[in-house]
Amino acid sequence: MAGRKQAPARHDTDAGASPDLRPAPRRVDLHGDGLIRVGARPNLWQYLKQIWAFRHFVIYDSHARVATSNTSDSLGRLWMIMNPVLLGFAFFLVFGLLLQTSRGISNFIGYLIIGVFMFRFATQAIGNGSQSITKNQNVVHAFNFPRACLPLATNLRELFAQIPTLLVMTVLVYTLGDLPLPGSEPDPIDLSWRWLAIFPVLVLMVMMTTGFSLLLARAVATFDDVKHLISFGTRIWMYASCVFFSSERWERIGGDTALLILHLNPMYCVLDIVRQAWLYDAWADPMRWYVLGGWAFGLCLIGMLAFWQAEETYGRER
Amino acid sequence: MSLDVGQEQTDSADTVPEDLAVVVDDASMTYRIRSSSEHLRDDGRWSRRFKRVTGSGWARVHALDSLSFVVRRGESVGVIGTNGSGKSTLMKLLTGKLRPTTGEVFATSTPVMLGVNAALVKDLSGQENIRLGCLAMGLTPAETARKFEMIVELSGLRDALHLPLKSYSSGMASRLQFAIATAVDPDILIIDEALNTGDAQFRSRTKKRLDEVREQAGCVFLVSHSLGTIQQMCTRVLWIEQGRLLADGDPEWVTEQYQEYTEHKASGRRRSSEIAYQRTRMHLDSVSVSWADGTRPTRAG
Repeated sequence: MAGRKQAPARHDTDAGASPDLRPAPRRVDLHGDGLIRVGARPNLWQYLKQIWAFRHFVIYDSHARVATSNTSDSLGRLWMIMNPVLLGFAFFLVFGLLLQTSRGISNFIGYLIIGVFMFRFATQAIGNGSQSITKNQNVVHAFNFPRACLPLATNLRELFAQIPTLLVMTVLVYTLGDLPLPGSEPDPIDLSWRWLAIFPVLVLMVMMTTGFSLLLARAVATFDDVKHLISFGTRIWMYASCVFFSSERWERIGGDTALLILHLNPMYCVLDIVRQAWLYDAWADPMRWYVLGGWAFGLCLIGMLAFWQAEETYGRER
Repeated sequence: MSLDVGQEQTDSADTVPEDLAVVVDDASMTYRIRSSSEHLRDDGRWSRRFKRVTGSGWARVHALDSLSFVVRRGESVGVIGTNGSGKSTLMKLLTGKLRPTTGEVFATSTPVMLGVNAALVKDLSGQENIRLGCLAMGLTPAETARKFEMIVELSGLRDALHLPLKSYSSGMASRLQFAIATAVDPDILIIDEALNTGDAQFRSRTKKRLDEVREQAGCVFLVSHSLGTIQQMCTRVLWIEQGRLLADGDPEWVTEQYQEYTEHKASGRRRSSEIAYQRTRMHLDSVSVSWADGTRPTRAG
C-alpha cells in the first residue's frame, strides 16, 4: 500500500480562535534507500520464507501447549480420550438405541466411533485455529513474527494431541467395531493393509483444517462475531457428514441434490474412505479422494492468501 | 536539533542525511474500540437504539495527532510525557505492532521494544516461556540454548523456572518478560520504563545487560518518567502531551519545561501550566518529511 494518502492538515486548532504563531514545519528532504516501512506486509513469497524461518517457533509452541492442555483437570490428559468416548456413547444411546439410525449399517459401532473421533478432530482443529489470533493477543503484541504461525501451530498441536486419541480409536474399532446390533448383520473386522489409508487421509484432513483455520482466523480477528457462527456451522456440518447415520438415509430424504452435496463434503469423504477401509475392507469411490484433495489444496491456498492479505491488522487493539 | 524559531526555513530544504535510523512521517493514531456505553453518545435515533439493545458500539479514541520526526544513527532519544499522553501508542507505532491511522513509520530495521507490559503464555512454565519467547523473536534453537543461561541469570528466577507462569507474581512475570526481551541485540532499541521495574537487586543486574545492549544498538529510544535518567542517557528528548508532539530537542531545556509544566499542573494552576504548554509548543522545531523522487520506502522488513 505504497500510495496511501498523506494526512491532510495538521491539527493546529488550539483554544478557540487564537492565531497560530508557530512557524511552518521545516521541510527535510530524505532519500528512502535502505529504509523499510515498519510493520509492512511482505510479499507472499517472502512471507512463506519467513514462516519457514519461524518453523521452530511453530513446532515448539504446538508441542509445549499439548503438554499443558487440560492441566487444570485432575484426570489431565486422559480427557483427550475420555471426551470422544463419552460423546460416542451419548450418540450411541440416542441415535443407535433410541432413534435406531443404525438400521441398515453393519458394524454400526465402528461406524459411529470413526465418525465421532474423526469429526471431533476436525472441528477442534478448526475451532481452536480460528481463535488462535484473538486468544494469543499477548504473544502477538510482544513479538514480531509472521502471524500465520499461530493458526499453523494450533493445527499442528491438534495433530500431536490427537495421536493418542487416534490410537484409542483404532483399538476400539478393532475390538468393539463389529459387535452385532439388532437389525443389522455383523461383518467381521480384520486388520489389513487397507487400514494404512488413514495416513494420507490425515494429511489431507489436516491440510483442510489448516486452510479453514487460516480463513476463519482472519474472519474472527476482523469481526469477532463470527466465532458464534462457527459452532453453529460445525453442528450443521456434523449432520451433513453422516457421522451417525448412513448416506442412504440422507439420500432418501433429500434426493439427488442432497447426495451431491454430501459427496462434495470433504468430511464425508474422510469418513467414507476410513470406514470403507477399516470396516468393510474395501476402497471408497476414488471420487472421494479427488474431492478431499481438492478441498485440502484449495483451502490451504485460499486460506493462506486471505490470511496474508490482512497481516498488518492482527495487532490492533480490541 | 536547533531550537531557533526565527529562521525562515519553510522553503529551504535540509541536506540529505545519510545516516537515517527512524523516520516518522505524519503518523497519527485513532483507536477504534468496542464499548458498551457507546449508545449514550450516538445521535442517530435508530443506531442509538440498536447499540443500546446489542450493548456494543465503536468508541473512537484519538490517541496521537499526526507528528513527524527524523532520528539519526547514534542518537539516544528520550520520550517523556504525562500518563495517557500517547507515549505508548507512539512506541507501538514505532515497533510496527499497530498501523498508524494516517502517515507511516520508516526505519532501517524493525525497532525492538524492551518492555515489561506483555505477559507471555500463562499455562506454560518459566523455562518454556523463555524458549518460546526466544523462538518467537526469530532465534534459532541453538541460539536459544546459548542465551538460556543468560536469561535465567538476568531474571533471577532460577528456583521458579519449572512453575507455570500463572503462579508468578506480577513483578516476577515482568522480570522474566524483560529478561527474555534482552536476548536479542536489536539495532534500533526501545526501552519502555524498564529501568523502573523490579527490586533494587534486579535493577543493578539489568543495568549491566542494558548498557551492553544500548552500546551495540545504532539508536535508542528511552521512555521514562525519570528525568534524571533521561538527562543522563539521552542526546535528545521528545515530549508528547495530550497526543501531541510538544517539544523535540535538547534534554536539559525540554526536561526543564516539562518539570515546570507538571509542577503547575500538580498544584492545580491551570493557567500557568497552559502557558508553559503553549510556550514550549512555540519553540517546537517541527519538520515535514519529503522524499526524493520515488524513494519513499515501501519494502517490508
